[in-house]
Amino acid sequence: MKIERRIILSNTFNVALLVLIGLFAIQNLNLLLTKLRFVEIADDLNASFLEMRLSEKNYFLYSDESALFEIRGKIGKTMDSIEAMKNDISRAIGEDNFRTLTFYLKRYSDKVEEVRRKGGSEQLETQLREEGKKLKEFSEAITLLERQRANEIISNSKKALFYSFFAILFLAVLMSHLISQKIVRSLREIERLALAISEGNFGKIEKITTGDELASVIKAINFMSHELRNREEEIIQSKKLASLGILTAGVAHELTNPLNNISMIAQTYTELYGKLSTEERLDFMQKVEGETERIREIVKNLLDFSKPKEANLREADLNAVVQGGLRLVQNALDVSKIETKVTLGRGLPHVLVDEHQVQQVLVNLVVNAIQAMSPGGELFIATRYDKKRRSLEIEVKDTGKGIPAEFLPHVFDPFFSTKDAGGTGLGLSVSYGIIKNHRGNIRVESRVGSGTTFTIELPAYKKEEEKER
Amino acid sequence: MSPRIMVIDDEKIVGDMAKMSLEQEGYAVETFTSAEPALERLAQEKFDVVVTDLKMKGIDGMEVLRTVKRLYPETKVIMITAFANLDAAIEALRAEVHDFFPKPVKIKELKTSIQRALGK
Ligand SMILES: Nc1ncnc2c1ncn2[C@@H]1O[C@H](COP(=O)(O)OP(=O)(O)OP(=O)(O)O)[C@@H](O)[C@H]1O
Ligand SMILES: [Mg+2]
Repeated sequence: MKIERRIILSNTFNVALLVLIGLFAIQNLNLLLTKLRFVEIADDLNASFLEMRLSEKNYFLYSDESALFEIRGKIGKTMDSIEAMKNDISRAIGEDNFRTLTFYLKRYSDKVEEVRRKGGSEQLETQLREEGKKLKEFSEAITLLERQRANEIISNSKKALFYSFFAILFLAVLMSHLISQKIVRSLREIERLALAISEGNFGKIEKITTGDELASVIKAINFMSHELRNREEEIIQSKKLASLGILTAGVAHELTNPLNNISMIAQTYTELYGKLSTEERLDFMQKVEGETERIREIVKNLLDFSKPKEANLREADLNAVVQGGLRLVQNALDVSKIETKVTLGRGLPHVLVDEHQVQQVLVNLVVNAIQAMSPGGELFIATRYDKKRRSLEIEVKDTGKGIPAEFLPHVFDPFFSTKDAGGTGLGLSVSYGIIKNHRGNIRVESRVGSGTTFTIELPAYKKEEEKER
Repeated sequence: MSPRIMVIDDEKIVGDMAKMSLEQEGYAVETFTSAEPALERLAQEKFDVVVTDLKMKGIDGMEVLRTVKRLYPETKVIMITAFANLDAAIEALRAEVHDFFPKPVKIKELKTSIQRALGK
């Protein structure tokens, strides 16, 4: 669901809740008003009943006939007003109570009539008193009840309003929290992907949970990542083609010399066959064999280069790998009088590497560094962990002559070499291949005259990621 | 006196084979595997033909050609190379190379070229 719609929905929900609470409050107030109105009426009634009973007392005490007429008059008036306010009253106290009230009033009025007709006997007097008392008590009881009800309504709606305030507050906070949580989570995914892309790992976010706005952002980024990967493959492909050109030229040259030698031996052998001694003939053939061996060596190197051996990946401690590699070049460093300073990072996560291949890369870098420095030069080797990028680094830094800016983009090209004697120019390109094979990266910075730094990046072993989750 | 031929190539076998084969023709042949001692030797004695490889460490064949042409204009230079390219060939022609052979070298052709260089 789109985030926008989600927000609208949650707002609508809250507004509906508010309206409900408002309606509830209005209804309670109406009820309260009815109750209060009744209490008012009931107070009047109670007053009338009290007066009736006073007149009743007068009649019995002083046998005042006019008192009976007074009562009758009052009863009549009360009945009229009850009839007039029938709706209000019955709504307040209910149909049954209303009927009981009129019933009691009727009985009282009947008794008064009977007393008037038959004159006041002792028996009738008690009966009339009885009826009057009942009427008054009933009326007072429901008045009390309604007062209590009114109080209850007030305190209940107070409570209801109080709780619904918190409910709405809680809901609003919860909804916005949930929504922002989701946004933040997606943003984190995007951030992680962007970081990975900047490191050259063109992955993608697999789970697109909902169809919200962020999902389209994620889709766009995934597409971009995919495109970048395609482009990178294209670039690598064209680089490969370019290096293939360089490769074939180099190989042609390397192969032509031994081929020429064999050809010349054969021509001379044929020409001088009769004049050659047995030893000379054997010597010729041995030379042919030697040249064949040269060719075989070149072809083997070529195969090694074009088809790097499958890496034999194992979980390993990078520091141990580096130390092992350094042992291999220690002698060369000593002979060239290069001072080496090694700084190994502590508590590094493990890496998944082919130990020998990584050591081969290290040896290549160190040999290059040695060749770039004069005796007394300094070599710095360091390992460290970049937590944010989850990658480990090996840094090889020399204080040699440096690489001119125009050569820098080519140092990883096969057969690029500035060394006339003994430089095949394959060291760095093979190293590059190995590190890429490890899903790592190798980069170079250099300043002519002050030195060169090669940095190898290798991803931390997956187990580390699992721990984090 | 027999014509003097010098062969310079960092591949030792080239010199060895050329020497054996050319001596059959009655030439006096000396071989070198780098240009420096060869040029020193040229300063001592006159050679009729110098056969030199193009790509060598240190002083290369093109430089040998130029030096020889400057100091000993009568000496003919034949160039051989493992990696024939047009630019090098043109450069060599400008520097008055007598002949230019790609490897692998056909010894018979080399001999014919030397004969022509000697004016026979
Ligand atoms: N530490 C360094 N300082 C200066 N230049 C360097 C350094 N490392 C590499 N280079 C340059 O990069 C080129 C390519 O290096 P690479 O290791 O691929 O080949 P190479 O060292 O020339 O040959 P090989 O490795 O076969 O001996 C070198 O010839 C040199 O010019
Ligand atoms: Mg190297």
